[in-house]
Amino acid sequence: MSDRPTIEEYRAKITNKQFQAYKCVGCGAVITPPSGTCYSCGNNEMDWTDVSGKGTLVSFTVIHIAPDEFVDEAPYYIAIIELEEGSRVTCRLEGFDPLKPEEVELGVPVSLTYITEGEKTYLAFKPT
Amino acid sequence: MPLKTTNIVSAAQTKFGKLDGLTLREIFSEAVDKATVDAGVPKEDIQAAFIGTFIPEMLVHQGHTAPLLLDYAGLKGLPATRHEAACASGATALRAGIMAIESGIYDTVLVVGAEKMTSVSTNKATEALAAAADDTFESSIGLTFPGVFGIAAVSHMQKYGTTEEDMARVAVKAHKNASTNPLAQFQKEISLEKAMTPRYIAWPLKLFDCSPISDGAAAIVLTSAEKAKQYTDTPVRILGTGQASASMNLCGRKELTSFEASVAASKQAYDMAKLSPKDMDFAVVHDCFTIAEIIASEDIGFFKPGEGAKAVRDGVTALDGDKPINPMGGLKAVGHPVGATGVKQAVVIYKELIGEAGANQVQNHDTAIMHNFGGTGATCVVNVMRRADA
Repeated sequence: MSDRPTIEEYRAKITNKQFQAYKCVGCGAVITPPSGTCYSCGNNEMDWTDVSGKGTLVSFTVIHIAPDEFVDEAPYYIAIIELEEGSRVTCRLEGFDPLKPEEVELGVPVSLTYITEGEKTYLAFKPT
Repeated sequence: MPLKTTNIVSAAQTKFGKLDGLTLREIFSEAVDKATVDAGVPKEDIQAAFIGTFIPEMLVHQGHTAPLLLDYAGLKGLPATRHEAACASGATALRAGIMAIESGIYDTVLVVGAEKMTSVSTNKATEALAAAADDTFESSIGLTFPGVFGIAAVSHMQKYGTTEEDMARVAVKAHKNASTNPLAQFQKEISLEKAMTPRYIAWPLKLFDCSPISDGAAAIVLTSAEKAKQYTDTPVRILGTGQASASMNLCGRKELTSFEASVAASKQAYDMAKLSPKDMDFAVVHDCFTIAEIIASEDIGFFKPGEGAKAVRDGVTALDGDKPINPMGGLKAVGHPVGATGVKQAVVIYKELIGEAGANQVQNHDTAIMHNFGGTGATCVVNVMRRADA
């Protein structure tokens, strides 16, 4: 383990379904995905923090034509979520029919979950 | 202050499309010859070359392309540097050329953009293109390029009421303009109904919302004001240039209905040129996807945020409209050989400004703006140009 948070650990925490965000030691801003420097205060010291897992749906798309690695999963949602803590993540979306995207409303409350596809685990959110 | 001395004195592109049987260096060389010897600019006058290629390492298994390509084009020995900024590679090469002329180090330089994309499978090309997004946090969960712009489209539709039909109209316009452009990949008009064919790539984007995979190259010669008249009676001045970057990740941006690097680069270019959007007769913008043209038309200040779609509906951006956009057909219908695109955009502006755009000539053609952006919008380059005698 590094004495400071690393991207490898961030990704491992998603794989292990124990999501944590970066937190700026200087100002306390919650940062996702990892950044080497705080967007708010410029500090470069980071620590881990738990998040509430609550957020809102900012935007999304449905991938129909997927790269080889993801072909078996298509069609699937990719979404931008704003966490309650103010930071945003790009993730998968669960609980919506990928063939009825017109029924999805932006701004709806969502909560953290995970989607497992084979050996892969994705950070995901579902309607609260 | 406006740039002091940079002039474009020749500009050319190859045919864009699936150029079977031609390698990257041959396509590159054709563009160079068209912009130099064929245009009355002796190769001996070229002092340095700035070259945009995106990802030949993955597309044709070739790195260190600048000296290799330049050698094939008969310019071995010159300083040759490759510039990479995804789809903005060409325009970053152009900016380097501009700075080289403005600095006074060189009198005359060559700027070339080139890409050979069709010698690998579509899947391989798509994989190469995906390298322009953040692999660690976005591509690795299955986000694709059309997906990035699908997300922007969803936000624009929600916030402003833009529709899938509005986006389809951008494709119809692009194909109409390209139908009379002999160098375009698709020289065929399409109906609105066809553009709306529900073959979804990344909802709400459909097949006809996306630019194609293409081969091609484009080249321009830049020189100082002092030397420009040696080569042509109608040089084109580059008055202002801007470049900005933004977060690669979409989740790193507060705004998804506008690209902040586009807004910032546009402001820099207008401020430098001491001109504003109302002074522009037309624009060439980066329409990698139809929604990208609508957003770009707002980001460069032609229309207020949210009014880009209405402008398309009302024909304002058509070839014969008040503010033509992509008069030769854009990336959408002319093709998008990634590294070539930023230079090709400057070629289009040059041809239009000097009145040599043939059937695609815009009516007013003194001053124009070009907007080239890279990848997810993480790099944007904007240039303001004016015919020297205007």
